Amino acid sequence: MNLLIKNIAMITAVCFCLPATAQEHHAHDDHATHDMHDQHDHEEANSSHASHSGHTASDGPILTRTKDIESALADGGEPIVADVLGVVCDFCALAMNKIFSKREEVAAIFVDLDTKALSLVLAPGASMSDQTIADLAVQAGYRIAEVRRGDAALGNAS
Amino acid sequence: MILMRAAFLLTLGCLTSIVTVARPVSYTGGWTVIEESDRQSSSVLVHYTPAHQWSVGPRVELNRDDDFALYSVQPTWLAKRWFGADYQGNLYFFGGAGIASGTNGNLRDDRFAAYGGVMADWETRSLFASYRARYLGASHFGEQFMQAARIGFAPYEGDTGDLHTWLMLEIDHRPSDPNSVAATPLMRFFMGPLLVEAGYNLTVNQPLFNFTYRF
Repeated sequence: MNLLIKNIAMITAVCFCLPATAQEHHAHDDHATHDMHDQHDHEEANSSHASHSGHTASDGPILTRTKDIESALADGGEPIVADVLGVVCDFCALAMNKIFSKREEVAAIFVDLDTKALSLVLAPGASMSDQTIADLAVQAGYRIAEVRRGDAALGNAS
Repeated sequence: MILMRAAFLLTLGCLTSIVTVARPVSYTGGWTVIEESDRQSSSVLVHYTPAHQWSVGPRVELNRDDDFALYSVQPTWLAKRWFGADYQGNLYFFGGAGIASGTNGNLRDDRFAAYGGVMADWETRSLFASYRARYLGASHFGEQFMQAARIGFAPYEGDTGDLHTWLMLEIDHRPSDPNSVAATPLMRFFMGPLLVEAGYNLTVNQPLFNFTYRF
């Protein structure tokens, strides 16, 4: 019993010390978030680099611009951004990637944990309804809150 | 065959401590390998997810305390998922049935065994809490009940594809064990399809190493 009490005391001490470090890190993140997303590269599942442009517009997150997404946009594909509920970890992003990447209509995809948004660019001439996007998200285990297309997805809407 | 079985059980036996609760149901069509170890047993589950609300797969568990292995099939049902812009919560029920077989010189006959339990978790990108309970009935190999609760936090929020790091504490309760309550601080490392946990059970002085791989 004494050993248990000793253990719990040690763990409690560790748990109270660590949040202070975490808070400092968060403070730094809050200050630098937007600059980081302008400049910092993130590695995608396919090992290409994803450079983030501005992340949010007044109506919500806009398209995250990875190399694949830029390439698909240059080919004339329709940009789509979907707000996803419940995306909190890489397994969530992996699930969305696996499900959507199987579709022929999808030319490029990126799930951004920071903005909780699914960025899609369709193949030229392809279309995908909001309902299909919602159904595919359910297959991945998640739920779509809102879908934006075209200028709204790119952050160009007035 | 016996050599392979012995090697597999030896590998399991080298893995010690704790209960991993890491997404026991995947995306539709996904496969997952989950190695779980605690101070009583170690196991490997390979599951397939036919639909987003359930998974099924073979599971092998080596019970080190009572010297038997359990070869079973485990279905897991995602009963409820709570969604939010910044959080996710899950309630799972799981069960399993198979054959219990003596190990490490235990000469008792093979017998039918079954188990059932519940898992729940809630997490944001920086906070985590979970609970798991299981009852196992294995005929003359014995009956076991366990429950475990875990809390954790991430000192930073990694983006997609980054290395995610968590600091966690698990308290487990096993009424039949001399040390019925044990505490295990651990670190979780998460990147892409791979989740690895390393820690140390302070009560029974055992290291831990767990992993989950999703593909």
